Amino acid sequence: MRRGRAIVFATAFELLCEPVFLLVLLAALALSVLAPAMHYHQFGEASRMARDAGISAMLVGGFAVCLLGPVKTFRRELETGTAQVALAHSVSRTSFFVCKALGCLLAYVIFTAAISLTTLTVVNGAEIGGAIAAARGGMARLWGPSFACAMSAIVLPLVFGAVLNRFLRFRFVLSANLLVLTFAFIGSIYRFDGHLAARLLPVLALASAPACAVLAASAAFSVRFRGNVATASSAVVAALLLPILGNYCLSDALAYGGILPTGYVLAAFVAFSPVVAAFVLAGVHFINVQDVQ
Amino acid sequence: MSDENVILLSGVRKTFRDFWLRPTVDAVQGLDLAVRRGEVFGLLGPNGSGKSTTIKMILGLIDPTAGKVEMFGMSPKSLAARARLGYLPELSYLHPFLTARETLMYYAGLCGLDRKESRKRTGQLLAMVKLEDVADRSVGGFSKGMARRVALASALVGRPELLILDEPTSGLDPVSTKEVKTLVKALAKNGMTILMTSHLLADAEDVCDRVIILNHGKAVAEGDVATLGESLEEFFLAKVGNADEFVLADFLS
Repeated sequence: MRRGRAIVFATAFELLCEPVFLLVLLAALALSVLAPAMHYHQFGEASRMARDAGISAMLVGGFAVCLLGPVKTFRRELETGTAQVALAHSVSRTSFFVCKALGCLLAYVIFTAAISLTTLTVVNGAEIGGAIAAARGGMARLWGPSFACAMSAIVLPLVFGAVLNRFLRFRFVLSANLLVLTFAFIGSIYRFDGHLAARLLPVLALASAPACAVLAASAAFSVRFRGNVATASSAVVAALLLPILGNYCLSDALAYGGILPTGYVLAAFVAFSPVVAAFVLAGVHFINVQDVQ
Repeated sequence: MSDENVILLSGVRKTFRDFWLRPTVDAVQGLDLAVRRGEVFGLLGPNGSGKSTTIKMILGLIDPTAGKVEMFGMSPKSLAARARLGYLPELSYLHPFLTARETLMYYAGLCGLDRKESRKRTGQLLAMVKLEDVADRSVGGFSKGMARRVALASALVGRPELLILDEPTSGLDPVSTKEVKTLVKALAKNGMTILMTSHLLADAEDVCDRVIILNHGKAVAEGDVATLGESLEEFFLAKVGNADEFVLADFLS
């Protein structure tokens, strides 16, 4: 148990220290902020626009994290030799593979949480804008306050991360990633929209099902091809899954205004669990039959 | 030293194959080897003689093509056997994003130590390898010698019964090399079994009780250091080749 926990946390920690992770996270945050900001100006419907943009950012960025995370970490372990040292301990290859994949999943959960909380921050910004407009008796211009709130969630972590690095020698990328999550959380709790959060969660859960499949596929291919062909192979798998995802998630979720019956979420997990299991078994097989050197 | 064998290899062969399963190289050819409890055993040989391959087979990282490998009387893939082992690889394989302290805490976790014990052991080992001042710096920025010391501390964090050291003094300055040799002697005195490889024959001569010399994947000599002759270096050169045969004339003319 302790051994598995050490591998899971070390892997998640590694990915949070990875500049690519921060770049994908910031790009996804920017997408979730900028897309609704433009739409507010034209159409209004603040909450729905913010939610749709957040889900889109989470989907695209989430796939990138699920694809790149295992490639990065398994490639580094196998090519730099750290896997040798880990496997010389009392750790089976199967648990090494599964725990590393779980570490990647933990990083994905952190990524998803950051995007979800930022989405709620954007909605809070729109609420503030609405309140100001009501007080003044003028027309609500929602995009300004929501844009300001959410851009702060992107810029502030970078600034504070740089300050922590300069004066306290904290690791910049790790600090910035954790501060994104912290600030997004702080932004989201102002006038917490429980109704919207309740709508978001099933959609996010639904999107996580194919994301897990992509993650498992990427992990298995990374072990087999040491991260070289893995990206391309996993991308093909992801591309094959996306239409299913479209049917399951976006069409249904958005058509129903973000309301999803629990059965949909469960059905998605049931539908994807054989795919996830197949890729995990393939990864376990690959790591057990090959020489680690 | 007892007669109990901690490591036993009998008739071990390893042939590497390419993608199409065609044999590419016979790295180890019919090796028999026994390391007894409490001894410091040296695995010597020139580059490409099969030392690292042998060690990886003992660790269960690669499977032998033929023959049998046992560690503590068990398969090297047995978790119970590997729980009693510490390993220092030829190159200091460390996670560059972790600090020295986090690296030792990580390996303490892999050894199954609880948090309190891990902290205590980490502090002791950082003091031992003189890295307390830089304990909270990422190891990615360490010099080769500092990284080597972190790797050595990592190998010892679980208080192993068997320590496998692949070129332990590689990259270390003379003072650190002397410290490592002193450490190896002290660990052996406390009853730890040590298997080490080295290109530096003087190092092996200083710390090893017995050695085996490999050449082209075969054992060419084995015995107590004290009985091999006056100089291990002369004995080694006589067994694996003569440096005088090195052809300089054509290049220099």
